[in-house]
Amino acid sequence: MTAKRKLNYAYYPGCSLHASANEYDLSTRALFDALNIGLQEIPDWFCCGATPAHNVDELLSLSLCAKNIDMAEKVAPEMAVACASCFSRMKFTHHILSKNETKRRQVEKAIDAPVTLSGDVKHILDILARDFGLKQLAKAVKKPLQGLKVACYYGCLLTRPPEVPKLDDCEAPTIMEDLLHTAGAETVQWTHRMECCGANFTLSRPAVVIQLTNAILESARAAGADCIMVGCPLCHGNLDIRQEEIENKHRTSYRLPVLYITQLLGLAAGLPAEKLGLDSQMVDPRPLLKSKGLI
Amino acid sequence: MSRLGVFICHCGENISRTVDVERVAAEAARISGVAFATDYKYMCSDPGQTLLKNTIREQRLSHVVVAACSPRMHEKTFRKAVESAGINPFLCEMANIREHCSWVHEDREEATAKASGIVAMMVERVKQNRALPTITVPVTKRSLIIGGGIAGIQAALDIADAGHQVVLVEREPSIGGHMAQLSETFPTLDCSQCIMTPKMVDVANHPNIRLYTYAEIELVEGYIGNFQVTIRKKARSVDEDKCTGCGICTTKCPQKKIPNKFDQNLGMRSAIYVPFPQAVPNTPVIDRENCTMFKTGKCGVCQKVCGPGAIDYTQQDQLIIEPVGAIVVATGFDLYSIDKKPGNSPYDGYGEFGYGTIPDVIDGLTFERLASASGPTGGRILRPSDGREPKQVVFIQCVGSRAREKGISYCSKICCMYTAKQSMLYHHKMHDGQAYVFFMDARVPGKNYDEFWRRAIEDEEAVYIRGMVSRLYQKGDKVMVMGSDIAVGVQVEIEADLVVLATAVMPQPGADLLAQKLGISYDKYNFYSEAHAKLRPVECATAGIFLAGACQGPKDIPESVSQASAAAAKVMTLFARDTMEREPIVARVRENTCVGCFACKKVCAYGAIEEKEIRDRQGNLIRKVAYVNPGVCGGCGTCQATCPSKSIELEGYTDEQIVAMIEAL
Repeated sequence: MTAKRKLNYAYYPGCSLHASANEYDLSTRALFDALNIGLQEIPDWFCCGATPAHNVDELLSLSLCAKNIDMAEKVAPEMAVACASCFSRMKFTHHILSKNETKRRQVEKAIDAPVTLSGDVKHILDILARDFGLKQLAKAVKKPLQGLKVACYYGCLLTRPPEVPKLDDCEAPTIMEDLLHTAGAETVQWTHRMECCGANFTLSRPAVVIQLTNAILESARAAGADCIMVGCPLCHGNLDIRQEEIENKHRTSYRLPVLYITQLLGLAAGLPAEKLGLDSQMVDPRPLLKSKGLI
Repeated sequence: MSRLGVFICHCGENISRTVDVERVAAEAARISGVAFATDYKYMCSDPGQTLLKNTIREQRLSHVVVAACSPRMHEKTFRKAVESAGINPFLCEMANIREHCSWVHEDREEATAKASGIVAMMVERVKQNRALPTITVPVTKRSLIIGGGIAGIQAALDIADAGHQVVLVEREPSIGGHMAQLSETFPTLDCSQCIMTPKMVDVANHPNIRLYTYAEIELVEGYIGNFQVTIRKKARSVDEDKCTGCGICTTKCPQKKIPNKFDQNLGMRSAIYVPFPQAVPNTPVIDRENCTMFKTGKCGVCQKVCGPGAIDYTQQDQLIIEPVGAIVVATGFDLYSIDKKPGNSPYDGYGEFGYGTIPDVIDGLTFERLASASGPTGGRILRPSDGREPKQVVFIQCVGSRAREKGISYCSKICCMYTAKQSMLYHHKMHDGQAYVFFMDARVPGKNYDEFWRRAIEDEEAVYIRGMVSRLYQKGDKVMVMGSDIAVGVQVEIEADLVVLATAVMPQPGADLLAQKLGISYDKYNFYSEAHAKLRPVECATAGIFLAGACQGPKDIPESVSQASAAAAKVMTLFARDTMEREPIVARVRENTCVGCFACKKVCAYGAIEEKEIRDRQGNLIRKVAYVNPGVCGGCGTCQATCPSKSIELEGYTDEQIVAMIEAL
């Protein structure tokens, strides 16, 4: 089955996608299947260490990722990652180990395997926009997302620091907008698309997170967005799960659905709502999508 | 039989730390032909040179090898010393055991062996050196100055006042450079125009200065004392002799909506224009790209209204050849822009500042034009977007500078001072306004500089915030400034009406291309390199070419002027004599084997090869051979490598010498 497909990737879901961001996993698999892109889950994958490991023990952090990369290389030459945080850690590992021979030797000893770094690590945004391509995607659009005004939210890790992920322009990326325009949606120009949501502090310093995410939601609303689109389960958690708390704290009401890139593209590709996990979000996106005639 | 002397230098500890100098001397003493070998702590010092001279006399030495630093450092020193002891200077060679050995190796045993090898090679080479007479060449006592900013103007006036001819070439239609754009200057706050324009007029009126504006350097040939410079004088479309500078053409020109570069594109100019009212020369230029006559062939208004009939649409670029003896490069600087850079650029723009898309985020030079009495707003500080007076202005220092991640690691040096000045000017003009300055460090050394900076804070109420700005974005009609205050440890958010960026000082675009024409070296940022960072700061490694102003590195006005005067002094030193001595390390042709193919002539970069006719007694032409003009030859050796019949050789680098050097190893 997979051999017949033009594009094949070793899929690294990461912990979030098997838990709180289950709908991201669901929609990614459904979308890739609909687009006929091969996605084979790496057998026996484990945590990438994000976000505590690299703050505590660099060798541990590098080794966790290096082992996962090693296992991925046995599945397919390129690894597909959906979570921005896992993506960042994998890319960092790739970057550091390809530049630092000493660390590379330490990691090889720790994981008891050679670090070849022969395969690349790619975020699904990159796969969709470049490997699969916007032209192909345009052909796959069955139900254009007409009339939907989306605020594309990149957060901090997808493009930063500039020398590591090299996904797009570090401070003014357009890859999400390019994908959504291809799917027929409108995107809004807004000020907070690159700001931090406070992901790491979500449990330890919720007050900080609420302040940061409130600014993001406020900015998206001011720009006239119907919903926010993300490519990271941590951003999603802060913007979606905490939205009610933010509203209460700031005595306002946003009710801004937060959707994953794969959910929106999945809708455009004509996939049914239940395959995309639209029912498992705190701010229910279905009334909005219904009002736009998309489900 | 040669009696060679070998002198090994310790260079303090620079060489002796890794090289066993005594052993190198002992091994050198055993080489055939070496009559004497010793080592000494500092060969270049006075006692070191005395040792050299005395030994030459006592030991009746015929040749000398000094094993020390690079010949670029001290070859002249030692050749002068041996000459005073009665040996032809070209019978002294240096063996470089510092840059090529001790500095780059750690293992003492291996470094010592390598040093001995280098010495042995130079011993074999110097044995076959010939005593050469010094070549004297005449000096053309005219100088070329490239760039008509404050540095170029100062150098031109100094040299011209000393009685020598000066050719001043400026790329723009007027001289004046960036200084003419400034409002008031630190640390005295005197008006830039007031101190600059009289100097510009002096240049125009000086009998010894020939001024070419709207002109560029096309080609540079020759060498110190004897350069031939081809200047491209771009078509002005206005006859400079006929034009009276009345300005009626500029007022009548129907095409008036062209952003004026001199005003940082804030103001508009016509297609036929003088960049600013005080321009020198006060002769307009037609901007052919925007002129209706040149675009459509229909208009001709300026020609109709011009009384003296100075407008000439058919004018062509002119190539002018000027012989000069010395060149001063004073091409100045440009500012880094935060715009998105093309993919092949070594620099990144500032996406976090909106890549230059927020209209009320301007750079320092644009602020100067706003604050200048002769600027597009008549000296009123108004926002570019809506022309309102800004009540809160945020200045951000170190934009591009000291930012390795953006591609520039150096400090632009002038920004701390001009930002302090601009905050003051703003306060003077807007008493109820508030200036904020984000800074990393205050680098304000210089006479009365720190006092000036303190005054901005203490008397003129600028709020200095130590920290960086992470993001600028438009919110309504405000520019939001998100920054950090690291002194207090908090994040800062300011709603600004205007943001002024102190962007990095960079060399002019095309600085590298000019350097290639001149044959001078430049660093990775395209700043021109001085011959020695400390002891030869205004000279290029290429003889006869000097540097002045910010083309060599970021500089403020006093420093540019000092360096310009220093460069002028160097030129005048060169012009103090009618002839100058040149090294006789030139190529020579063995005429009896030369077949006259002139392959050497094709490859010679200096144009030194001529065709020489060989005639019999009756005067009949027998054949032609190559001849090297020793005054022009640069001694590069390209002809030697090219000659198919091995008939051309460079003095001191003959095939026999190279083979002997290899065999010595």
